[in-house]
Amino acid sequence: MADADASHPQAGEPISEQEALHRLRQSEDSSQQYYGAWWLGRMRSQHPEAVPLLQQALRQRRPRDSGAGVEENAVARNAARALGKLAPAAQAAIPDLLDTLQDADDGLREAAARALGQLAASEAIEALCERLASGPAVAGAQQANSPRLVEPCEALLEALGDIGVNEPRVLAVVKPFIAHERPLIRSAAARTLLQLSGEARWGELLVDLLDHPQLQVRRAALMDLGAAGWRPGFKAIAATLAENSLKLMALRGLVEQGSGDPGDEALLACMDALL
Amino acid sequence: MSMDSPVTARIAALQQAGSALALLQATQELASCADARAAPVLVEVLGFNNPGAAVAAVEGLICLGTAAVDALLQLDPENYGARAWAVRALAGIGDVRGLELLLDALGSDVAASVRRAAAKGLGQLQLAELPPDQQQDVQRQCLGALLAATSDGEWVVRYAVAVGLELLAAGLPAEGPERQLAQQGLLTLQEAADGTPPVVQRRAKLALSRLELQ
Repeated sequence: MADADASHPQAGEPISEQEALHRLRQSEDSSQQYYGAWWLGRMRSQHPEAVPLLQQALRQRRPRDSGAGVEENAVARNAARALGKLAPAAQAAIPDLLDTLQDADDGLREAAARALGQLAASEAIEALCERLASGPAVAGAQQANSPRLVEPCEALLEALGDIGVNEPRVLAVVKPFIAHERPLIRSAAARTLLQLSGEARWGELLVDLLDHPQLQVRRAALMDLGAAGWRPGFKAIAATLAENSLKLMALRGLVEQGSGDPGDEALLACMDALL
Repeated sequence: MSMDSPVTARIAALQQAGSALALLQATQELASCADARAAPVLVEVLGFNNPGAAVAAVEGLICLGTAAVDALLQLDPENYGARAWAVRALAGIGDVRGLELLLDALGSDVAASVRRAAAKGLGQLQLAELPPDQQQDVQRQCLGALLAATSDGEWVVRYAVAVGLELLAAGLPAEGPERQLAQQGLLTLQEAADGTPPVVQRRAKLALSRLELQ
């Protein structure tokens, strides 16, 4: 049984941490690197080599062999996501993620922004604000030949909220996005303003979005209320036309992230009724 | 338009519903008439892959209570989607005839939403009309399944297990071993183990404090 094949699992078989590190370390097969990077994040690897290898993968940003079945920058994107999941152990990668935030690939900027938010990297505030400073009409405009926006606004806005530094310059950059034409961007902006300022008007804006005709928007508003832990929204959350699973996740956010009225017992009773 | 039987008219309306929205409205109408003849039709709706209508049907079935149980238990076990909704209805009704289905769902269903409904349901079976020895037997089975599920991989299932254990323990004799085992399960959930989120810990703590005041 203990032959050489043991270190080469078949496709679809679970792999070990050593195997994941090995796949990320080699450079011949980018689809193997892609999976290795994902694995280390998913399994919250604590191995001392994990962060340095992911940093290295993040620096290899260039078009890749399209014949390998992995699109360009896919490995770097997965590396950025994994570094976010390894927070706070991945602090050392903050400078690499800041570089990545200037990459020409907006999908990569998106992944880097989310990771910086998860790492609560206050060093990133200036760069995140710069990316958003041109406002909904420029940074928030739709790209010429894609439904994507010029900047990954949702990720940039949410990163500012996750970092959580309440400064006038940050609020000034975020506020204009409250009027963005896309409800998902409005939801992200309201969530960030709520996290930063705690002002009820932003929570009320999210509660209004719980009535939006599109399910996708109602789901996003649920997650955003949960992330901000805005307890006054608990009854509106319970009454939203969406899956109970998502309402339970949102209410968990209110219990864990929020404080004040209503107290835990009322929130937990609300959750009990949704099981 | 016959006055004696609005339920038959509503059943006919549901069977003719031509769109997802019409089906939802017809299901809500039928669910609100609280007539046992609606049960088999509401159970049929569970298999239509229309979540809005299924929610309305589950609510209607729970309102019908024990009168809906036969129809729910006759469901085709191969019809996976409908079975998940049926577990929720049986959990809400609390009829002991649903025991096997709830035990099976908590132990082996792939969907966390089904396991969580089953966990709460196992805590709230109505046992008052059973002879005492049968009551104890059912309680032991519920307890065993809930304790096994304290290590479920999904937080929301562990949360529901805390709720189920509280409901179950409240009906157990305070000095008996089963009550102690239920409280021990809650203590496990209250501990800050790796991967147990604060919301589960707080729910288990609340359950324990209520049981101690009882």
